[in-house]
Amino acid sequence: MTSISAAGSATGPAPYIYVTTRMRVRKSKLLPREEYLRMLNMSLPEITRIIEETQYKAEVDELSPSFSGIDLMEVALSWNLAKEYQKILEITPGRLKMFLQTYLRSWDIQNVLAILRGKSQGMRTGKIKEILIPAGSLDRITLDRLLAEDSPERVVEALKGERLFPVIEREFPAAQESGSFARMENELYKAYYADLIETARAGVKGGRAFLEYIRLEIDICNLQAAFRLRQGPLPEDARDMFIEGGEVKPDELVRLSAAEQPDELIETLQQRVGIDALGGLVDQIRGDAPIHEIENALTRLRLDKMTRISKRNVISIVTILDYLERKRFEVMNLRALARGKESNLPAERIQSYLVI
Amino acid sequence: MALKDVKPTRSELINLKKKIKLSERGYNILKMKRDGLILEFFKVLEEAKETRGEILEKYERAFEMVALANTVEGAIGVKAAAMAVKESPTLDLKKKNIMGVVVPEIESQAVRKTLAERGYGVLGTTSVIDETASAFEELVEAIIHAAEMETTMKRLLDEIESTKRRVNALEFKVIPELKEAGDFIKMRLDEMERDELVRLKKIKAKNA
Repeated sequence: MTSISAAGSATGPAPYIYVTTRMRVRKSKLLPREEYLRMLNMSLPEITRIIEETQYKAEVDELSPSFSGIDLMEVALSWNLAKEYQKILEITPGRLKMFLQTYLRSWDIQNVLAILRGKSQGMRTGKIKEILIPAGSLDRITLDRLLAEDSPERVVEALKGERLFPVIEREFPAAQESGSFARMENELYKAYYADLIETARAGVKGGRAFLEYIRLEIDICNLQAAFRLRQGPLPEDARDMFIEGGEVKPDELVRLSAAEQPDELIETLQQRVGIDALGGLVDQIRGDAPIHEIENALTRLRLDKMTRISKRNVISIVTILDYLERKRFEVMNLRALARGKESNLPAERIQSYLVI
Repeated sequence: MALKDVKPTRSELINLKKKIKLSERGYNILKMKRDGLILEFFKVLEEAKETRGEILEKYERAFEMVALANTVEGAIGVKAAAMAVKESPTLDLKKKNIMGVVVPEIESQAVRKTLAERGYGVLGTTSVIDETASAFEELVEAIIHAAEMETTMKRLLDEIESTKRRVNALEFKVIPELKEAGDFIKMRLDEMERDELVRLKKIKAKNA
């Protein structure tokens, strides 16, 4: 506790040194690649036992009265992730904390949208609660308070003062009228990335390196959206579905999405992420392979890029974010392993969905 | 028709002949209808078989996709995306006539949705959700088509069955009975004619 307050009150590099050191320790405790490869050859009960015996035990025990089987595993993994992120927010001081809160706001978007959608469809509170992961700046108590509201309008009212409120307030009437929260979701993510860029520019250590990474993430996200939009008729508001701030501009992305052949889109992706990074995937995309396969490859690529940046900027926000992302993917990998085994997917196929 | 109830008169014989002619005409028409319905049934059967195969194929694909979505996005992610869809598919029921049999024609709306109509954002989800949603939309469409085919088949079968019963009743009961009654009247009329002849002969012999 002394060390936290010491780091919190310190100026200069002290908070960074304190938090990054703790993150490096935490990162060393994450499951190594070999462990996943070993788990691929295990049965579902064996994987469950491993999950129960590791750092997820407390959540499994806590949730076992309410959930069972594979659902218990998934919810326990998500709760562990949420708790871990909350703990990190607790130990992070000052401006760094503010940056992390901004970074973790994507979870808030997910949770608030789930509540709004659930409320407008008249779903039971318990059912909505099952899909909330309080890993962002809106903690469990705040989310419970939102869940207790009796209408989506009241949920929006209750969000007053939160960073998401201006976008939600602006988009809510149209969403309520059309019954679709898709535009609101896209606008929230666009605002999220804009905030992230602004906060990174505000003088956090490693901000410049992070900006380089976030631009890549925006471009990857936009190009993935372009591939998805190509599958059907291009919506009129296609331009609004892309995030500003990347190297490839939204107008260019709309043009690429509307093109008859995907060649130009693939070329842009190659230019942006590097030809070597995509390897044989290009032929797969040309051969109409499912887009989710390229999405996985791009996620791996993104994560590698972040790790590389964090190694170059050891005492910086990137090291913290690298851990947050690695932790998120550990949870996703364990869930993929358990769900994949449950669905009797072959080990090779499950492996292709793991980010290791 | 019991023979005892048959009046052996010439007018009854004329009536019976008319009835036999009508029954035979009805029998031929019904036989043609039955054959026509059977032909139609086999056509629908082929289509229904294809639809069944399609359903099985699409069911397997949909469940493979949802397993994949659960693996990649987790059940939480899949549930969250499913919550985004508000508009439910609607069905429009129309009627179609196949050789006098009224069968349903089902038109579905809002089953297949575009990315924008599904209600979830492009930026917060991955393509595996699109592929799962589209696999289930295809499955629902195939089920609706199968429902139309199977109801048509059931109605056609019911109609074939009742037409067959009518044809059989005409062929093996109504027409033979009418013919029997006609033969009986003819026989009775001939007999009455012979009686009359004998009676006339007897009167003639007595007078002579």
